[in-house]
Amino acid sequence: MSDRYEIDLNVKPGDDLQDEEMAEAPQAAVKRKGRGFQSGDQRGDGVHSSAFDKLNSSDDSASGRALKSIEGWIVLITGVHEEATEEDILDRFGEYGEVKNVHLNLDRRTGYVKGYVLVEYEKFSEAEEAIAAMNGAKLLDQTLTCDFAFVKPTNNDDRGRRGLTTRGRGGYGGRRSGRSNSPTRR
Amino acid sequence: MPAEEFYVRYYSGHQGRYGHEFIEFEFHADGRCRYANNSNYRNDSLIKKEMTVSPLMIKELKRIIADSEVMKEDDHKWPKKNVVGKQELEIRFGNEHVSFETAKIGSLVDVQGSEDPEGLRVFYYLVQDLKCLVFSLITLHWKIKPI
Repeated sequence: MSDRYEIDLNVKPGDDLQDEEMAEAPQAAVKRKGRGFQSGDQRGDGVHSSAFDKLNSSDDSASGRALKSIEGWIVLITGVHEEATEEDILDRFGEYGEVKNVHLNLDRRTGYVKGYVLVEYEKFSEAEEAIAAMNGAKLLDQTLTCDFAFVKPTNNDDRGRRGLTTRGRGGYGGRRSGRSNSPTRR
Repeated sequence: MPAEEFYVRYYSGHQGRYGHEFIEFEFHADGRCRYANNSNYRNDSLIKKEMTVSPLMIKELKRIIADSEVMKEDDHKWPKKNVVGKQELEIRFGNEHVSFETAKIGSLVDVQGSEDPEGLRVFYYLVQDLKCLVFSLITLHWKIKPI
């Protein structure tokens, strides 16, 4: 994809954009569509607000970038065949430890498997082993991709407040008209 | 290498006797995912959860959105927001950015009776698939019972 960056025409030079972004951003228009851009509603209580609960890693560098969920380690599997069953998943993934939870979500229109599964292991070592063994493996003739579902935030906590800080602005906020306002989050 | 521009936000809510009741969630390209829910009128405090999902999760989310072809749709013939409330679906995907706004949809009956049933059906099913994914992520990560 060539149009990787965009500069909104109504953003004035130097208007909160960081230098490195200006330097690497080619001119590419963003195609916009929808009534949400016209609506001037502003809400301060949704995802653009602050003070969100987070699970923090308890100083476990052994788990690398993976983050423990409240009761265990969640593994995401994609490339799952639409006719796969929970039994198929438990058969294959139960080899690496007891699977505590399986979410094999279905496509709401077709009723078939949507294409991903989330499984939970109690121990990091079990999840790690499952990922190592099953990433690239086949299930019903389709190749699986496996990784942890949750990771530690890549930067420090500041990042959470500003949104896409490398873009110089938080979120996109289609209901704000254009890009004239600063994000409402603190 | 910076990630491709990508952002998803869904909102459904209304103003009523119990104030602003809504559910909203968003995903950023870097994996940051936020969920806010103020559906329980007896409970003053909003549920607000933040987590970071892996690049594979974002990749799967992109696949789901791309497969739905929702970016080809347009909301101009969809039912307008009303007293029952509204839904918003904002997606930034590469150099395309949509921010759809429509009324709440009770069932497929509302979809079939609309002026753009094909487009609204795409929206209707995608929203359900996204909610299904988010509820799984929230449940597994936090073990709270979502609405």
